Amino acid sequence: MGEVTGKVMSAGEAVERFVHDGNELVIGNYTVGSCAELVYEITRQGKKGFTLYSQSGIFDVEVLVAGGCVDRLVTTYVMRSGGKKGGSAVERALNAGTLKIEDYTNFDYNARLVAGMHGFSFIQVLEGVMVTDLFRKRGFMGENKFRVVKCPYTGKNLLTVPAATPDVCIIHVQRADKFGNAQYWGAMGSVAAAALASKRIIVSCEEIVDHDVIQSSPHLTIIPAYRVNAVVEVPWGAHPTEVLGYYNVDNLMYNGLFVSAAATADGLKAWMDEWVYGCPDRASYIDHYIGKFGSAALDELRAKPFYSAPANYGSAFTSHWDREGKERSMGVTLPELEKLLQERGKSYE
Amino acid sequence: MSKPFTLDELLAIVVAKEINDYENVVLGVGVPMTAGALAKALFAPHATLMMESGIVDIRPLLSLNNIADAHSCRGFSYATDLFSAFTMTYRGFVDVCFLGVGQVDKYGNLNTTVIGDYEKPDLRLPGSGGAADFMSYSKRTVLTMRGGTFVNKLDYFTSPGYLEGGDSRDKTGLFPKGSGPAALISTKGVFRFDPMTKEMYLSQIYPGVKLESIKKDIPWDLKVASDLSVTPRPTDEEIDFIRDFAPELSAGRELAVELRNAYIKKKADLRSGKNA
Repeated sequence: MGEVTGKVMSAGEAVERFVHDGNELVIGNYTVGSCAELVYEITRQGKKGFTLYSQSGIFDVEVLVAGGCVDRLVTTYVMRSGGKKGGSAVERALNAGTLKIEDYTNFDYNARLVAGMHGFSFIQVLEGVMVTDLFRKRGFMGENKFRVVKCPYTGKNLLTVPAATPDVCIIHVQRADKFGNAQYWGAMGSVAAAALASKRIIVSCEEIVDHDVIQSSPHLTIIPAYRVNAVVEVPWGAHPTEVLGYYNVDNLMYNGLFVSAAATADGLKAWMDEWVYGCPDRASYIDHYIGKFGSAALDELRAKPFYSAPANYGSAFTSHWDREGKERSMGVTLPELEKLLQERGKSYE
Repeated sequence: MSKPFTLDELLAIVVAKEINDYENVVLGVGVPMTAGALAKALFAPHATLMMESGIVDIRPLLSLNNIADAHSCRGFSYATDLFSAFTMTYRGFVDVCFLGVGQVDKYGNLNTTVIGDYEKPDLRLPGSGGAADFMSYSKRTVLTMRGGTFVNKLDYFTSPGYLEGGDSRDKTGLFPKGSGPAALISTKGVFRFDPMTKEMYLSQIYPGVKLESIKKDIPWDLKVASDLSVTPRPTDEEIDFIRDFAPELSAGRELAVELRNAYIKKKADLRSGKNA
């Protein structure tokens, strides 16, 4: 990987170039470490008409739905602010008729992306849901939500779901290099499949690190550079959700301000006016936060280190040629080998 | 006599006792996570606790907000993914899973999706998440109930209990033989399922709770075990564990939210006072 690829850019540029109205958009993160800044930027740019895929639609889905960006939602789990009494943006949009929903189980949803990731057109899922309304109630996908096929080997009925290959995935990770190798660790969830199933991938990260760092820990890389379109460095990019090894969930912003705001349409609008539309980018969002609550409020969220033991990637040799210049298994030097090739008539001028 | 306790605390302690040593356990959001940690600390040191986000053999440091919480990601043994967490359940490697209840019927079927109409909901609940698949394939399921309701008919059928009762679950051929809900544990008592009819009955009642207060929540004629017992009071050690590990559970939802909001306001006021 020689040249600088020009993938490093701002959230604004990445969203402008790679997220388009009417796209199938997938939020790659699952419950934690959500790509908050990319979600906010999409909302600020007023993109619309999405079919949104979200494994666990917490505040990120609430913001996109309340921002009027989403027509259709494929999901397994949505947020409900404030328990029985509180509502949610999703509930309000369903009742207003501006949002259509398709409910899957966690596995079925993820399986659709796994199928897409591997290039299959459908995949077998767990047949137990056939007795439930998850199977019986069809939303906008109709017959294509699930189909039953006969196993050609056992003759049993198998439940299947169609592959999903969203147009664009937005995802936040701990670190990446400038080429786009994206590293993520902790609860792996369905993060890799969501990204790899997609046609375009925007990666935001807490920090851009040297390529050497990636090469010394390749098992942490969940998306290879060649699949990534944009790399956006955004410290605190998942705030108020947590990023393992960087910071905790911010209860003050999340359970405190956001959850109570999201219970009503007006509350959520006021919250978004202040924290999404009112801050042009993540740096100004963090400035606003510090201005309001002090830097100590952020500092106390920072993770205390707990490092993984290094794994030894070493091998015995780094070359076929030993210290005397002899090839280790044939016992000859390179000039000796070349001479032998000539003597045996194997070398052509 | 042991120290006073709350019904939320007793719920978590009773749930913890459903975990046996050496079992593979899938924990759901909320009370089960705290119950799992309690079991691991006091009753079932060799249990393997796992969550559907793919973290296996976790040792939660403190009570968790969600199934991928950073406080469960320090010192676990196996980092797999969501897909494999479910296929290992499908293959029969999960002994018990714990699920929360929105609506439940007398055969332990669950609704966690919607109250009212699906398209125009009165209350849109979270959805299945992992519930339907875990309840299908875990060897047994324990239901935990803090705010849900008992109904004659679910508004939406999310996760399979004993279907229409009797042998109807086994007869479908879709589920492992003998799987299904083993207990429903509420803040008032413990319900189990009749081995033949698979109908839910009251098996244990918490100390200080009246039978009438349980019956009034249930729209069918609830059967009560002939040997109905009173749940033993929790020990000080159990109560102390919960208060240290999950103080917001001890406080209860209402008080916790009230205190949390007041504390946030105080912090913000202090700060703006400083700036002025």
